[in-house]
Amino acid sequence: MIKKTALCSVMLLILALAIPFVLCARDVDPIVSTEWLEKNLTNPRVTVIDIRKVEEYKAGHIPNAVNVIYGSWAVMKAGLRNELPPTDDLFDLIGSAGIGSDSIVVVVGKSDNIPNRTDVSRVAWTLKYAGIQNVAILDGGYDKWVADKKAVSTDAVKPKPKPYQAKVNEDLFVKKDYVMNNIGKVIIVDVREPDFFEGKKKLDFVAKTGRIKGAVNLPTSKAFKSDGTFKGKDELASIVANTIGKDTTKEIIVYCDTGKVSTTWAYIMTELLGYKNVKDYDGSTEEWMKDSNALIEP
Amino acid sequence: MYKAYLVDKGLIGNDPHFLEGCGSCHFGDEKAMTKEKAHKGFVKRPSDNLKTCENCHGGIAKTYKDALHYTTHGQKYVVSGRFSPNESKIFNEKVFERSCRSCHASCGDCHVKSPAIGGLSSGLLKGHKFVKKDEGKTCALCHGGRVYPEFTGDYGGSADIHYQKGMTCLDCHKSTEFHGTGIAYKTRKDIKERPACINCHKSGSEKTEQAKSAHKTHQNRLSCYACHSSGTYRNCYDCHIDKGATSKPGFILGLNPRDKKTVTTLRVIPTVRDTFKEAGIKMEKFDALPNYWDAATHNIKKRTERTRSCEVCHEERKDFLTRETLIKNGSKANESLIYTPKSIKSGGKR
Repeated sequence: MIKKTALCSVMLLILALAIPFVLCARDVDPIVSTEWLEKNLTNPRVTVIDIRKVEEYKAGHIPNAVNVIYGSWAVMKAGLRNELPPTDDLFDLIGSAGIGSDSIVVVVGKSDNIPNRTDVSRVAWTLKYAGIQNVAILDGGYDKWVADKKAVSTDAVKPKPKPYQAKVNEDLFVKKDYVMNNIGKVIIVDVREPDFFEGKKKLDFVAKTGRIKGAVNLPTSKAFKSDGTFKGKDELASIVANTIGKDTTKEIIVYCDTGKVSTTWAYIMTELLGYKNVKDYDGSTEEWMKDSNALIEP
Repeated sequence: MYKAYLVDKGLIGNDPHFLEGCGSCHFGDEKAMTKEKAHKGFVKRPSDNLKTCENCHGGIAKTYKDALHYTTHGQKYVVSGRFSPNESKIFNEKVFERSCRSCHASCGDCHVKSPAIGGLSSGLLKGHKFVKKDEGKTCALCHGGRVYPEFTGDYGGSADIHYQKGMTCLDCHKSTEFHGTGIAYKTRKDIKERPACINCHKSGSEKTEQAKSAHKTHQNRLSCYACHSSGTYRNCYDCHIDKGATSKPGFILGLNPRDKKTVTTLRVIPTVRDTFKEAGIKMEKFDALPNYWDAATHNIKKRTERTRSCEVCHEERKDFLTRETLIKNGSKANESLIYTPKSIKSGGKR
């Protein structure tokens, strides 16, 4: 009897440990190449979401790609840029793009500069938030697709809408109060360039120079090669480890100026490198620097 | 071949516009061997003279001569309500013909080369190809101050839902609106072919009872924009000849000056009392027209704070024009646009 109970306990323990891995299992790599996408364009589970402007999409896009512009995924809310749309709007958006919970969604954008590259990671992060497990980013975006001389189309795709409902993953984003209460307890990562991190520069819409007290610097530009594609996994792992260490269980909060650029490292850390507790501070310095009670340095 | 030849060689054989050579539109001397001789009599913008296009596109050229994009009469007739007859005469001679008229669109501005804004053009649309439409390089430039950036979300708010669905200008605005119908309209508001939301979104086709009820309750009392405009849009202030205006985002609700039974989104127009002072125009009837006009905001969204909560209008009265928020030293007509929504908590008391 004791043996049976012990066996059952062990099995339950194994199950409990395995469930998170099963739930997080991916059917697609988090970053896919143009070759992979070309081979998988006819896979009925694959939906390619082109987040470029309508005019750019109409001028040429990946065959079968659905155009859902970046501005649909990130909105201005309460005076803050790049915020999540209301959940009902977000679910409508996903459903109207023909995306279901079992879809493999490949996000495609432009890769010519950091703002455009990080549009893509923000959309991927938002899809994760909305409950889509199989999200991927096309490495190098549409620019690489064209450079690789892959087929392009000018036929606008009208997806078949389907109702979408899911449980949102609240853990992926944090609010200002949460950051305030966790200074000194979690790793806070400022992904802006060094001049901004060191308080030498700021964007016009940010009230003050400086960084969140205790933050470490991991510039987003370090994630990319000069052609706009991501650096290799080993190199990315080394860059991250050198700044925040190798412990993948520690809680990490990333931020930038609006909560968009920061999603690139958040996405790489969680989806590629296995860090398990990474959150994006959506308000970022745009919100933080307006608050006289928010701790800043230098 | 001349080294600065602008037209792609492959294009020439495939487009009937080039069959009779460059000179058929641009004149000059095609056989000349020097630039000076070749350019003698050269016409840079052939379609400024509608007769150039009329040879082949007779019907369109005939109606286009009276179309607002060509006549720019909207810029003359609306403001003329502020002028005495003598002032109208001065305005037409000193301001309209010398300034406003320069904004007219020739055929080529929409079909060949991006229109010049402030003297700058982004160039040929597609290597001198005659294109049917390319809104992002044509409409977007002339209407790039207010409408287009609001529509695409580049002004800072949400992109219009129609743009998000892949629609661009000509999906709603039909070609007759631009090419005209032969009627010389005075303003765009007179054009019968203008798009209307109701043309596609039929009353009674709502998917929810809440939407059906809200539309029925507010029918003919509220424009679609009033509830479905997603956020701030550009308002222009304090315009003076040669100096221009300043702008800032805003969201203003009040009575439609053209239909005072309806509440709608209002946009501040920048005409102030001394806008035309330099031209010797005092605007004797300045107070006859308001400084706010009904705005067809191009930032439509299905759900907004107003569709989500009746209280935003009926209790908070958010963004409704009040005496306190009217622009200073504005027209006396502005006060007639103030509207205070009924409270829904206190039995309809305002």
